Amino acid sequence: MIHFDNVTKTYPNQGRPALENVTLDIEKSEFVFLVGPSGSGKSTFLRLILKEERPTEGRIHVAGRDLARLTNWKVPHLRRRIGCVFQDFRLLPNKNVYQNIAFALEVIGKPRRFIRKVVPEVIDLVGLEGKRDRMPDELSGGEQQRVAMARAFVNRPTILLADEPTGNIDPATSIGIMKVLDRINRTGTTVVMATHDAAIVDSMRKRVIELEYGKVVRDQSRGVYGQAY
Amino acid sequence: MRAQFVLSEVWIGLRRNLTMTIALVVVVAISLSLLGTGLLFVKQVDNTRSYWQSRVQLSVYLCTSQAIDANCNGAVTTAEIDSIQQALKSLPEVISVTYLSQPQAVALFKQEFANSPTLVKYTSPSQIPSSFEIRLRNTQADAIPVTNSVDGLPGVAQVVDDASILNNFYKLLDGARTAVVIIAIFLLVAAILLVANTIRLSAFNRRRETSIMRLVGASNFYVQLPFLVEGMIAGFFGWLISAGLLVAVKALWLNGLQSYFPYGVTLTTTDLVEVIIIALIMGLLICGTTSFLTLRRYLRV
Repeated sequence: MIHFDNVTKTYPNQGRPALENVTLDIEKSEFVFLVGPSGSGKSTFLRLILKEERPTEGRIHVAGRDLARLTNWKVPHLRRRIGCVFQDFRLLPNKNVYQNIAFALEVIGKPRRFIRKVVPEVIDLVGLEGKRDRMPDELSGGEQQRVAMARAFVNRPTILLADEPTGNIDPATSIGIMKVLDRINRTGTTVVMATHDAAIVDSMRKRVIELEYGKVVRDQSRGVYGQAY
Repeated sequence: MRAQFVLSEVWIGLRRNLTMTIALVVVVAISLSLLGTGLLFVKQVDNTRSYWQSRVQLSVYLCTSQAIDANCNGAVTTAEIDSIQQALKSLPEVISVTYLSQPQAVALFKQEFANSPTLVKYTSPSQIPSSFEIRLRNTQADAIPVTNSVDGLPGVAQVVDDASILNNFYKLLDGARTAVVIIAIFLLVAAILLVANTIRLSAFNRRRETSIMRLVGASNFYVQLPFLVEGMIAGFFGWLISAGLLVAVKALWLNGLQSYFPYGVTLTTTDLVEVIIIALIMGLLICGTTSFLTLRRYLRV
């Protein structure tokens, strides 16, 4: 599903590469934690998958496509197959829960009948039944992140990228968020989650990829956050 | 494509930076009106020019008994008239020669200056010379050789080229026209910069929406469309105002100006409509392309 082949990314005017010779495979419907200190290259990794950045060297395949050969005007089609969730939710403050989720479908030109059908379904999936008319500022952090997850998932992407989704949320609420991510993963969606949250990584026992200074220092199935060897 | 969705986004954008939108509409309106006025002026000048072009001739005024021209020695004689006519007819540049006798010239004078009775009253018929009115093959080039060959013949008081009188008049009109067009161009540049700035502000105001649109895979066109439509709507309203102003300019100013030209050179409604349509195309084109190009720079993938 995601294939990195000897990928190096160096930002202009920076000596050390943000990612260096990274080679790895993430299979369909895998759940992968991406761990490592700040500046270790987690965000760069996610941005490369979205083709927001281009690798300096190496090749990247996402959902069967060679990103180097993907023309700019086809990038949107790639992104329709990838959902994204962020630490800061990125909801539109002037739209309610339903409108925020529907927005993702409206802007890719989906018919209204389709939107009316799938948005309530996904609201149920993330556990926000009865809150479809709330505005973001009337919701708790955990609820806002559920809206963001619903928006990321409403178009049934094959991959879901989550960049520290529990970063702004207390541990108790985080469990709920992880349950939603797990539920999404069980539908066959590949989930890649960058995180600092050791407790979550340890409790989930999923594959863990650890980055340090842009290099993969550990790749463990059923791993934990800390050094396990 | 979801028209309703795009329009609601456009409405949000226009409302959020209302002051800039108003400024934009006003500047577009003024610059298009000036451009249109310039174009109307150009048309007026062209019409006037072509009207005169077909009528310009060379007038050879003959001596009267009171003539003080150096060449004159009393009134022109019949023999002199005949020989001048022969000389003119032999010239290859001359198409036709019409003799205007003194009584005819007096009648024409009275008719043309019917608005100035005092002038007519105090001009004695004997002061008005008889003349030859000459149509030239080429009004511009042939005037000088023909003048040279006739000037100085006995009985010829003065050779007057109508074109040389009209040229000063044309210079005046051309100058006014150029001034209006230059001002309009400056304003159009200002309009372009304002469109760019407004769209940039709008893009900044909506950066959340835009970033989410890109994230969920909206096509570039879909991301840019609301901004494009926003610019074009502002351009359209500016044009509406300018169309009103142009109708007013034509009705109040140009029609007033035309009353000074007694020869029926008028601008038709078709001319006005044509100018207004050109203004519409210019307005939409400028606003559309500018917002599109501005966005290219600010919303790059």
